[in-house]
Amino acid sequence: MAAFHGHLSLRAESLADGRTALGAQSFRAPYHISKPYWDADTRTLLVQVVNPTAGILSGDRLESAVEVASGAAVLLTTPSASRVFKMREGEANSAQRFTVESGGWLEVLPEPVVPHRGSVFHQRTELAVAADGAAFYADLLLPGRVAHGEAWEWKKLVLELDVRRDGERLLHERFEQDGAGLRALAALAGAGEEACFGNAVLIAPGVSADTSPAWRDALHALPVDGVWIGASQLRLGGGWSIKFVAPDGVKLKKTLAAIRRTLAGVYPHLKCDARKL
Amino acid sequence: MNSGPATNTDARWLVGLLQAGDSYYPTGAYAHSFGLEGLVQAGMVRDRATLREFVFLSVLPALRQAELPLAAHAYAALDPQAPDWAKVGELCVLAHALKSAKEARTATDNIGRQRAELAVTLHAHPLAHAYLARAGERGWPFSSAVSAALEGRVLGAPREAVLAGVMYASLGGLLAASMKILRIGQNASQTLLTEALARAPEIIATASVVPIDEIGWFNPWLDIAAARHETADGRMFIS
Repeated sequence: MAAFHGHLSLRAESLADGRTALGAQSFRAPYHISKPYWDADTRTLLVQVVNPTAGILSGDRLESAVEVASGAAVLLTTPSASRVFKMREGEANSAQRFTVESGGWLEVLPEPVVPHRGSVFHQRTELAVAADGAAFYADLLLPGRVAHGEAWEWKKLVLELDVRRDGERLLHERFEQDGAGLRALAALAGAGEEACFGNAVLIAPGVSADTSPAWRDALHALPVDGVWIGASQLRLGGGWSIKFVAPDGVKLKKTLAAIRRTLAGVYPHLKCDARKL
Repeated sequence: MNSGPATNTDARWLVGLLQAGDSYYPTGAYAHSFGLEGLVQAGMVRDRATLREFVFLSVLPALRQAELPLAAHAYAALDPQAPDWAKVGELCVLAHALKSAKEARTATDNIGRQRAELAVTLHAHPLAHAYLARAGERGWPFSSAVSAALEGRVLGAPREAVLAGVMYASLGGLLAASMKILRIGQNASQTLLTEALARAPEIIATASVVPIDEIGWFNPWLDIAAARHETADGRMFIS
C-alpha cells in the first residue's frame, strides 16, 4: 500500500456576527474534513477531521496545523479511532500543531489511538496558546485490539506533547513505551489487561489564580468504577494537567465525558456535543 | 574515568561528590518521597516486591530518559571555560516542563535551589556564583539535575561520576523514604539499592547520548498518584 504524506491546514476566524467559520482550509489525503457545524447553543464551531483510509500505515507522514483566531471557538474531533497498523518495517509519524490566538477557544477531542501489534508510531503535538486564549486538549490511548485478544503488543509508541502559553513552555511530555513496558506498569497498578489511558490539558486565562479549584475535587471523586484521575496545576500556574486511567475503552470515554461535564460549568464551550454531526 | 590508580585530583572531586550524595548533606531530600507515598496510599506499592517492580519499571527508565540526560546536557552547558547560559536556562525550564505534577516540580525546585546555594556557600566557585545570579535575574526554576551538574563542574568531577551521583542520590532518597512508609528494613532496602545500582553503567551510557529533544519519560500512574497526593487527607512527605 502507498504511504501517505497527509496535510491538513485550517484557520478558524470570528465573523462580524460573532459566529466562527473556517477562513482558510487545505488538506490532502488521508485527511478530509466534513462540513463544519455551528453549534449556536455553545457558540462553538464543530469540525470533524476524517481519515477515510483504514488507518495509519508504515511510511505515513501526517502533518496538521490548526489556528484559531481571536474570538473564534472550535471543537475539533474525529469520527473514529486512529488505528495504527502492524508494520513489518518502518514507522508512521504525525506532527500536529494547534495555535490559539488571544480570545480564541480550541478543544481537540480525537477518538482514541489504537496501536496494533508490531506498530511503530510517533506523534508530536504542539499546543501554543496566547495569554488570553484557552484550550482543552485530550489524547486517548487504547492498549490495542482488545476484542481480538491483542493488547500492549505494539513495538514502539512515542506521544510527545509540548504546551506553551504566551510563549512560555508549560509542559513538555514524552511518553515513550514499548507495549511490554506499559503492560508491566499496568499490571503493577492492578489496572488489568485492557487498561486505557487519557491525557488532557486545560489552558485558560485566570487558571493561575485558583490553585485548588472545586472542580479538581469533583474530578478526583468521579464515581466511575476502576477509574483513577489526577489533576495538577502546570508550571507558572498556566493550566492544568488531567491524567486518567480506566479499565476499558468504554469507561475511558465515559470518564472523558464526565471530565468535560465537570469543567463545563467553568468553561461552557465544553458543553458542545462532539457527536452532533 | 578509568581503572588506573586514583590521583590526588580524583580524590578531591571524589570526596566532594561523596559529601554531596550523603544523607547528611542538607538538600532537604529527606522531606520528599518522589511520588512513592502517593503510590503507597493507592495500594500499588505495598511491599519489597512491588517496590522493586516500581524501581525497575518506572524509576530507572525515568532516570535514563529524563533526569540523567538533563544532568548530562547541563554538564556540557556549564563548561567553566565557556558556559552556555542560554542552554542552561532552557534546561532549567525543560526540567520543570517535564513534570506535570506540581509536587514533582516542587521537589526538584527545592532540592535544586539548596544544592546550588550550597555550591556557592561551600566552594565559593565563580561558576556557582554566576549560575545563582543568572537564575535570579532570569527567573529560572531550579532543578536537582542541573544543580548536580553545577556541583560536578565546581568540584572538577567527570560527567560519568556526576551522573552516577545523580543516580545514587535519586535511588537512595527514594529507598530511604520507602523505609518510612513501607514495612521494609535496612537490609531489604540495601539489597534493592545494590541491585538497582548494578544497572548504573548501562543506564548512564544510554542517558549520556539522549538528544535534548528526546528527553522525557513518564509513568501515568505515578503522575496521577502525585497529583492526588496534593490533596491527600494525610501525608508524611511533601511529594
